[in-house]
Amino acid sequence: MIEVKDLRKSFGDLEILKGVTINIEKGEKVVVIGQSGSGKSTFLRCLNRLEKPSGGSIMFEGTDLIAATDKQLYKVREKMGMVFQHFNLFPHLTIRKNLTIAPVKLRVMSKEEADERAEIMLKKVGLADKAESYPNMLSGGQKQRIAIARALVMNPDVMLFDEPTSALDPEMVGEVLELMKQLAEEGMTMIVVTHEMGFAKEVASRVVFMDGGVIAEENDPQTFFSNPESPRLRAFLSKVL
Amino acid sequence: MDEFAQKLYDTFILDDRWKYLTNGLCTTLIITVFAVMIGMLLGFLVAIVRATHDKTGKLKILNFISKIYLTVIRGTPVMVQLLIIYYIIFASVRIDKTFVGILAFGINSGAYVAEIVRSGIMSIDQGQFEAGASLGLNYPKTMLFIILPQAFKNILPALANECIVLLKETSVAGYIALEDLTKGGDIIRSVTYEAFLPLIAVALIYLIIVVGLSSLVGKLERRLKKSDRG
Repeated sequence: MIEVKDLRKSFGDLEILKGVTINIEKGEKVVVIGQSGSGKSTFLRCLNRLEKPSGGSIMFEGTDLIAATDKQLYKVREKMGMVFQHFNLFPHLTIRKNLTIAPVKLRVMSKEEADERAEIMLKKVGLADKAESYPNMLSGGQKQRIAIARALVMNPDVMLFDEPTSALDPEMVGEVLELMKQLAEEGMTMIVVTHEMGFAKEVASRVVFMDGGVIAEENDPQTFFSNPESPRLRAFLSKVL
Repeated sequence: MDEFAQKLYDTFILDDRWKYLTNGLCTTLIITVFAVMIGMLLGFLVAIVRATHDKTGKLKILNFISKIYLTVIRGTPVMVQLLIIYYIIFASVRIDKTFVGILAFGINSGAYVAEIVRSGIMSIDQGQFEAGASLGLNYPKTMLFIILPQAFKNILPALANECIVLLKETSVAGYIALEDLTKGGDIIRSVTYEAFLPLIAVALIYLIIVVGLSSLVGKLERRLKKSDRG
């Protein structure tokens, strides 16, 4: 589904990604961990081209994202949902409008269809009663669940999560992880950048350790956590576990 | 007391002199309203060009033209611009002076509106652009439906202030013999040789409009804030 080859990204003289290669199949749940500055967020943001890679290739469902025109790129993004660390809900719109603005303005649904689908998604994330509220009236956990619902309304083929629980108060982390776990069980393809090792162990089909702009190690969660090969990963795990 | 009543009569009633003020006020309001419209339109366009260039690096030529426009207009007095438009650009055509006034003040205001709007756009969190993009909304759609509504709310006080400044600035329209409110008062002064009453009357009229506008803006602001608090 997603084929990344030798992906590179520099900001000025600073090389963040130094050749990342990974294939992600449909239905996989890939959890990416690593220290701050290891390039994991940049990697994720390159996947839907919020960052323009400096080199390498990304193929998504047969489209070359490096060579894609702007128009193709926006089409592709409709199929890649993204959840941000800071939610990025639209503060001037009600929750319902937050969910429906993209499908309606992109004309992939009529207003009625979008409202209906928003209703279903709000029920799914357990916030059906918040449809007419504004984002500022919600708690952090609720905001992030709405952000997930907003991405799901577009019916994406893959969901990208960029540290979805890092900006949350500890008592709200659980509700967001629970929702993500539910999504995973329903078969959604997910790529999750996170510091939640419990989530990685429980939900991931593959865990990826990024270090210094490359994938230093990847494995199924069982082996990854119990039998880390590289000393860097061992050192990292001993710090976070 | 009688003397004061006589002065009042001479200034406003005799020969229907009050009409200088009401006609002048009409001209002032017409110029202001249409100049504000031109200024807003121009200002938003220029601001979008400038912000798009700053964010994406596109629209290089339009951005260059916009920068020249901003530099020239903000670097010269509005009165000089008015005189140049009337006596140089429209020198060889007979043209309605009110139209010239509208054009001159509109073009002038556009430059200030542009910088206000641009600062409003730039103040919106980059995450809002990214959220729009990640949902498949292209740049113009994100700008129109996500960024501008938020920016507009933030800059509303500054925009309203610009309207008020513009209303007052139109008082130099008399320099191209436009009979606006200020000129109307000045005409009364020149026929009655009495400066106090007509000029104070002119000042009061400006003041009342400005205070009225300010309170309207205050109400609008409070209403817009509701979506922040719910």
